[in-house]
Amino acid sequence: MDFGFKHILYALLTVFIVLNYGLILQGIVRKIGARVGRRYGIRWYQPYIDIIKNYAKRSTITHGVMFYIAPVFRLTGGIGLLLFMPVIFGSEIFSNFSFAGDLVLVLYFQFFGVLGMALGAAEGGHPYSAIGVSRGLSQVTAFELPLTLGVLAIAMQYQTLNITEIVAAQQGGFLSWTLFTNPFATIAIMFSFLGAMGRSPFDVVLAPQEIPIGPPTEFHSGLLGVLQLNRAIFPAAKLILFMNLLFGGATSWPELVVKTFLIYMWSVFVGTVFPRFRVDQSVRWFLVVPLTIAIIAIILIRF
Amino acid sequence: MEYISMITGFLLVLLGLWGVLTQKNIIKIIIGFSIFDTGLHIVLVSIAYLRGGTAPVIDKAVKVTEAIEKVVDPVPHALVLTAIVIGLGVTALMLVYALKLYQNKKTLEVQSFNDLKW
Amino acid sequence: MISPIHIITLTLGTAFFIGLLKKLNLNISALLMLVAIAAAGTISASWFTAILSGAANAEVFTAGFNPPYSINLLMGKGEALITLLINLAGFLGGVYLLKSLKERGIYTMIIYLVFIMSLNVIVMTRDIFNLFVFMEVASIGIAGLVILDKSSKATQAGFKYLIATGVIAGILLIGIAFTYYFAGTLNIDVIQQASIINFKAGSIAVFLVIISIILELKPFPANGWGIDVYEGANPGIGAMISAASASAMLFVLYKLAVLVPESFLQIITAIGILTFVGSNLMGIKQSNANRLLGYSSIGQIGLLTAIVGLKPFLGAQFELIAVSILISHFFAKAGLFWLSGIVKKQNLKDWAMLRQKPYLLVLFGIFIFALIGFPPFPSFLGKWELIMKLAHSHHFYILAFILIGSFLEGIYLFRWLGFSIKMEDANLPPLTVHWNKIIPVVLSALGVLGSGIYFGTITEIAASLKYIPLLFIALLYVIDFLPVYVKNTVSIAGIGYYLYTIYPDLEGFKLIFGLIFLAGGMLTLVAGYFKTGTRKGFYPLVMLMFAGLVGLIEAHTTFEFFFAWELMTAGSYFLIIRGKKSMTHALSYMLFSLAGAYLILAGFGLAHIGQSSYALDILASVQSFAPLVFILLAIGFMTKTASVGLHIWLPGAHAEAETDVSPMVSAILLKAGVFGLILLMLNMGSQFIGSFNIYYALAWIGAITAVMGNMMAAFQEDAKRLLAYSSVGFLGYILFGLSFMSHLGWLAAVSLSVVHFMFKTLLFLAIGGIVYRVKTKEMYKMGGLIKKMPFTFISVLMGIIVIAGVPPLTGFGGKWILYNAVLEKGWFFPSALVFFAGIVAFLYCFRLIHTVFLGQLKDEHREVKEAPFWLLLPQYMILMVIMLFSALPNSLLKPIGAMLAPIFPEGALEWQGQLAKSGFGYWNGQVIMYIVGGIFVVVFAWLWYMNRNAQKVKQFNIGYSAERPSLPETTHFAYNFFAPYKKALGFLVSPLITNFWDSASEGVHAISDKVRRIYNGNVQTYAFHILAFIVVVYLIIF
Repeated sequence: MDFGFKHILYALLTVFIVLNYGLILQGIVRKIGARVGRRYGIRWYQPYIDIIKNYAKRSTITHGVMFYIAPVFRLTGGIGLLLFMPVIFGSEIFSNFSFAGDLVLVLYFQFFGVLGMALGAAEGGHPYSAIGVSRGLSQVTAFELPLTLGVLAIAMQYQTLNITEIVAAQQGGFLSWTLFTNPFATIAIMFSFLGAMGRSPFDVVLAPQEIPIGPPTEFHSGLLGVLQLNRAIFPAAKLILFMNLLFGGATSWPELVVKTFLIYMWSVFVGTVFPRFRVDQSVRWFLVVPLTIAIIAIILIRF
Repeated sequence: MEYISMITGFLLVLLGLWGVLTQKNIIKIIIGFSIFDTGLHIVLVSIAYLRGGTAPVIDKAVKVTEAIEKVVDPVPHALVLTAIVIGLGVTALMLVYALKLYQNKKTLEVQSFNDLKW
Repeated sequence: MISPIHIITLTLGTAFFIGLLKKLNLNISALLMLVAIAAAGTISASWFTAILSGAANAEVFTAGFNPPYSINLLMGKGEALITLLINLAGFLGGVYLLKSLKERGIYTMIIYLVFIMSLNVIVMTRDIFNLFVFMEVASIGIAGLVILDKSSKATQAGFKYLIATGVIAGILLIGIAFTYYFAGTLNIDVIQQASIINFKAGSIAVFLVIISIILELKPFPANGWGIDVYEGANPGIGAMISAASASAMLFVLYKLAVLVPESFLQIITAIGILTFVGSNLMGIKQSNANRLLGYSSIGQIGLLTAIVGLKPFLGAQFELIAVSILISHFFAKAGLFWLSGIVKKQNLKDWAMLRQKPYLLVLFGIFIFALIGFPPFPSFLGKWELIMKLAHSHHFYILAFILIGSFLEGIYLFRWLGFSIKMEDANLPPLTVHWNKIIPVVLSALGVLGSGIYFGTITEIAASLKYIPLLFIALLYVIDFLPVYVKNTVSIAGIGYYLYTIYPDLEGFKLIFGLIFLAGGMLTLVAGYFKTGTRKGFYPLVMLMFAGLVGLIEAHTTFEFFFAWELMTAGSYFLIIRGKKSMTHALSYMLFSLAGAYLILAGFGLAHIGQSSYALDILASVQSFAPLVFILLAIGFMTKTASVGLHIWLPGAHAEAETDVSPMVSAILLKAGVFGLILLMLNMGSQFIGSFNIYYALAWIGAITAVMGNMMAAFQEDAKRLLAYSSVGFLGYILFGLSFMSHLGWLAAVSLSVVHFMFKTLLFLAIGGIVYRVKTKEMYKMGGLIKKMPFTFISVLMGIIVIAGVPPLTGFGGKWILYNAVLEKGWFFPSALVFFAGIVAFLYCFRLIHTVFLGQLKDEHREVKEAPFWLLLPQYMILMVIMLFSALPNSLLKPIGAMLAPIFPEGALEWQGQLAKSGFGYWNGQVIMYIVGGIFVVVFAWLWYMNRNAQKVKQFNIGYSAERPSLPETTHFAYNFFAPYKKALGFLVSPLITNFWDSASEGVHAISDKVRRIYNGNVQTYAFHILAFIVVVYLIIF
C-alpha cells in the first residue's frame, strides 16, 4: 500500500466525522439518561460547549512532563484506534491506516492511550487518580479474557485476523452477521464490551461519588479538553470495532450511525438498570459468566 | 563327640554375645566379650581336630607318606595363638576404656554413655 | 625398585626405634615418624608409576615358602594407589596432628605409625588371616588414638568402636576359620580356585568373611558406632578413619569380591545404595559438623561399596569410576575433617567463622563441590560414567537411588556452605590457624583439583573439554587484588575476545543464544564500572558462569553440555549468594539446579542406551524410553526457566542479588534453560505418551506459569521481586511458544527470548540504580522519583511498554505472532491464559512505574541523585536496540524466521519490506511507528499551542477533600496497590506451590529425624544392629 498525502486528509476527515458523531452521541445519551430519570437534562450540544469552555480557560497548571503529555497519549490512542480500523466497509477513503495491522493491533492499541493516561494521571500525585487506575486496570484484565476468547473464536470462524475480511465475510443479509453465525462468541464479547465502555455497572473506575472522576481528577482546562475530545472519539472507535466484528460492519455512514447507536444503547440500558459493581465483584463476574460463554463459543468452534 | 569342642566353642560365642548385648555393667560387657573371644578360639582350634590324629611332628611315629592322614592341621593352632594375643590386646584396651569412662562419669552403667547419638 | 615389604619394615622399624629411644627429643621423633611415612609413600608412589608405565606387579613372599604355605603380599596397580593414598593421608594427617602427637608423647607416635603400617598391610596382603590380624591392629590403633583425646565424648565413641569392631572381628574370625576348613588355605587366590562357594557351608563361610568386611565399612543401619566415632574423635583422627582407613577397607572388599558369586555382588550393591541414601537422608537433620561429616563419609563409602558390587556391569570404566569417586572423597573428606579441627566449632552455623580467612572459605567450597561432583573435580567424571553405565546395563532403580542420595547430600552440604558464606558471624571468636594445620588442607584441595584435571586429560570423553576459559578464571583469581575497573575491563575484553574467536562458528540458535550470553554478558558487565574498591571474588565467579554458558553453546556432546551446565550452575550459585540476604535463596536455587542437573544426567544416561557416541544428536535417535528421556530433560531444563512448580527459587534469588548481578541471573542465565529446551525439542521432536502429546502439557505449564508469574508480580511490594516474578511469567510465554512446535510459535519464543533479555536487563539495571540511590526495595517507600531520576524513568517507561506488548514498541511483535500461532495451532484454552497473562502484566507494569516514579516524592528522597552513569550507559545502549527493533521489526524477526525455515518450513511469515503477513493477518511495525508518532506529534502540537503557558506547580498543589495534603506518605497511593484485585483473584496466587515444597522439605527433615533415632547412642543397641544386620542379610541370601 503506497502511503501518500491523501491518506492524511482522509484520516482527518474520518476523525472529524467521528469526533462530531461522538460528541453528539454523548449529548444525546446523556439527554436520554436524564429523561429516563425524569429530569430535563442537558442540551444535546452541551459537550461542544464544555470543550470550548475548557479550551478557553486562561490558567493552566502542570505537575510535570508525564502529566502534561498524558492527554496526548490518550487522544493518540483514541485516534490511532479509529484509524487502524476500516470504518466504512468497501470505502478506500475510510479504510484509513488499516493496512498497518490487523485485529491484534487494534486490540492491543486500545491500551496505548489507557496506559499513557494512567501514567500522566499518576504524576499528578492525586491519590484518587491512582486509585482509579488501579481499579481500571483490574477490571480491564478481567474482561479481556472473555474478549480474547471471543475474538479467537471469531478469528477461527473466519480464518483471518484481517478486520476488512471479517466484515466482508458478514456481508449478504443480517443472518450472516457474527451475531447469528456465532452467537456465543457474540454474547461473550458483548459482555466484555460493557466493561470496555466503562458505564455502570462497571463505572467504578471513574466513580463520581467516591473518587471524583478517577484518573482524570487533576486534569483541567486545555488538558481536560483534549481528554474530552478523546471521550468522544474513543468510545466511537470501540463501537466501530464491535460493529465490525459482530454486526456486519457498515457500508455507509448512516448504517454506521444506526448500528453503533444501537450497540451503544446496549451499554446504556444495562447501565441504567444495574447499579455499580465493586471491582472485586466485577472481576469475579467477568471471570464467571462471560468467560463460561466464551469457553462454550470456543468449544463449539473447535468441535 | 567329634564336634563337642566346636559346639562348646559356639555355645561360648553365643553366651558371650548374650553378655555383650544384655549386661548393663561395662565390666560385665567386657567379660562377655572375653567369653565371646574365648569361644572363637575354641572354634578355631576345633576345626583342626582329627579323630585319632597326632601332633604335626614328622618323626618315627609319623611317616612322611602317611602324614596327611595322621597329623592334625597345625595352621589353626598357629592362628589361634595370634588370635589370643590380639584378643588380649583388645580386652586390655577395653579395660582401659572402662577405666576412662569410669573416671569421666563415676559410673560403669552402660546407659550413662549415650551422649553421642542421632 | 624398593620392595614393598619395606613399607612395613620402615614404618614398623621406626616405630620400634623411637620407642627404644624414649628420651629422644620429641621433635626428632616426630620428624622420624613423618619421614618414615613419607618414605613408605614414596615406595608406593614409585610402584604406582612403574606399574602404570608397564612394570609387572610385585609379589613378596615371607618365611621362605611360597604361598599358600606362607603369607604373601601383592603390590599391583590398585594396591600401589591405595597405599599411596593411605601414606599420603598418613603423612598429611601426621603433619596436621603434629602438635597433639607431641603433647601426648612418643607412644602416640608409635601407635600412629603402627596404624598406618597396618592399613598398608591390609591393602597388600593376600592372606585372609593376616588380613584379620592387621584389621585388628588397625582397630586397636584407632581406638588407641581416639582415647588420646581425653574428652568424655571421645572415650565413649572409642569404647563403642572397640566393642563393635571386636564383635565384627569375631564374626570375621569364624568366617576365616571355616573358609580355611573348607578351602584348606588362607590365600585368597587359592581360595578362589577352591570354589568353596559351590556348596552351602562353604558359601556361608565366605559370606561371614565378606559381611564382616562390609560391616567394617559401616553399612546403614548397622553403623551407629562408626558415626559416633566420627563425631567424638579428634577431627584429625576422623580424617584418618574417613580417608585412609575407609579406603583400605574398600580395597579389601574389592579384593575379596572375587570370592563371591554374582548374586552376592547384588546384595553388596544394595547395601551400598541403602547406605548411601540412608546416610545422606539422616545427614539432613544434622547440625553437628563432625557428625555430619561422618554421615557424609559413610554415605560416600556406601556409594563406593555399591560400585564395587556393580563391577561386572561397569566394564572397562570401573577403575575410572571407582578411583575418581574415591579420590574426591578421600581429599575432600580429609580436608573437611581437618578444616573442622581448625574451626573447632561443632555447630554448622558457626562455620561463618571461616569468613575471617577467605582462603579457608575457598578451600571449604572446593571440598563441598568436589564431594557433590561438580566439574572439574574427579567425581564429576566418575558420576557421569557411572550413570551412563548404569543406564546402559538397565540398572534404573540404582541409578535413581544414586541420584536421590546425591541430591540429599547436596541439601546439607550446600546449606552448610551457605552458612559459612552468609551466616551471622558477629559473636564468633577469632579464628587462629597454625601452619601445620593448614598445609594439609591446602594440599588436599590442590590434590583434588589436580587429580580432577588429570582425570580429565586421560579420559576420552573429557579430552575435548576446553580449559581456556577456566584458565582465564584462574588468572582473574590471581589479579583479584586489583581495583574493579581493571578487572572489569579485563573481563569484558576476555568475553569480547572469546566471542570474536567463536563468532565464525556460530549459526542459528547458537548464534542467537551466543549473543545473548556473551554480548549480553559484556553489556551487563559495563554496569560493573559503577562499583568502587576491589569487589573481591566477584569476577572469577562471573566468568565461571559465562564460561558455563558459552560451553553450552559450544557443546557437541552430551558430556560437554553437562560439564558446561554444571559450571554455569556453580558460577551462578556464587553470584546469587553474594546478595545481602541471599543465603536461603541461593540454597533453594542450588537445590533446584542440582535436582535439575540430576534429571538431565539421568535423561542423557537413558538417551545413551544402545548408542556408542555421546554426540548431542543421539537425542534424535533415542532407542528406548524416548518420552521418559524427553520428560526428564525437559523438567531438568525447566528448573532453570523457572516454570511453575519449579519457580520458587527465582524471586528471592533474583531480588536479593546485587544490582548488576540481577540482570545477569535473570536476563541471561534463564536463557540457558531455554537453550536447553530448544536443543531438546530440535533433536527429539514431538513426543507422545500413548496418544497424549507431551507438548500440550508443556503449553499448559507455560500458560499457567505466565499467569501465575504475572499475577504474583502484580502483588509484590518489592520492586526487584516484582521484576523477578515478571521473569517467571515471561519465561512462561517462551515455553508456551516453544511447545507449539511450529514456525510461528518458535518465532515468538525466540524473539521473546531476545526481547526479554533486553528489557529485563534494562529494568533490573534501572531499578537497581534506584535501589542503589534510595536504599530500599519497597516500592511504596519511593514515589515521585521521575523528577529526580528522569533518565532512569525513561528507560523504565520503555521497558514496561515492551513488556506490556502495546504497540508501537517491539513487544507487540511477539503478541501478534503468538496470536497467529495460536490460530494456526488451535490450543485455545492455554492460549487464552497466555493472553490473559499479557493483560495482567499491565498491572505490575503500571504499579512499577507509578509507585516508584509517579505520585508523591518522599521527604527523604528530595536530595536523591540520578543513577550512576555506568548503570545508565548499558540501559541506553539497549534502548537504542529496542527502538531499532521496534521501528524495523524485520531486522529481528526476519533472520530468526530464516533460521527457523529449514526446521519448520510451513507457516513462515511473508515479508514485504517491514510488512509481515501470516496465514491470518498482517502487521507493519514501521508504519505503525510512523502513524502513532505522527498522531502523537500533531496532538501534542495542538495541546502545546493551546496550553503553552502552563504553570508548573508544587507537589501538593492538588485538590484533596477541600484541604491540601502535606504528607507524601499519606497521599501516595502505593501500598497493596491492587487490593480489590487481590480480593477477587488472590486465591489464585495463594502460595500452594511454596507450601508444597515447604511441606516436602519438612517431610524429608521429619523422616530424616525419625530414621536417625535408631542411633540411640547405646553400644549394645549398636552391637545388636550388627548382629541383626548379619542375620537379615543371611536370610536374604540363603
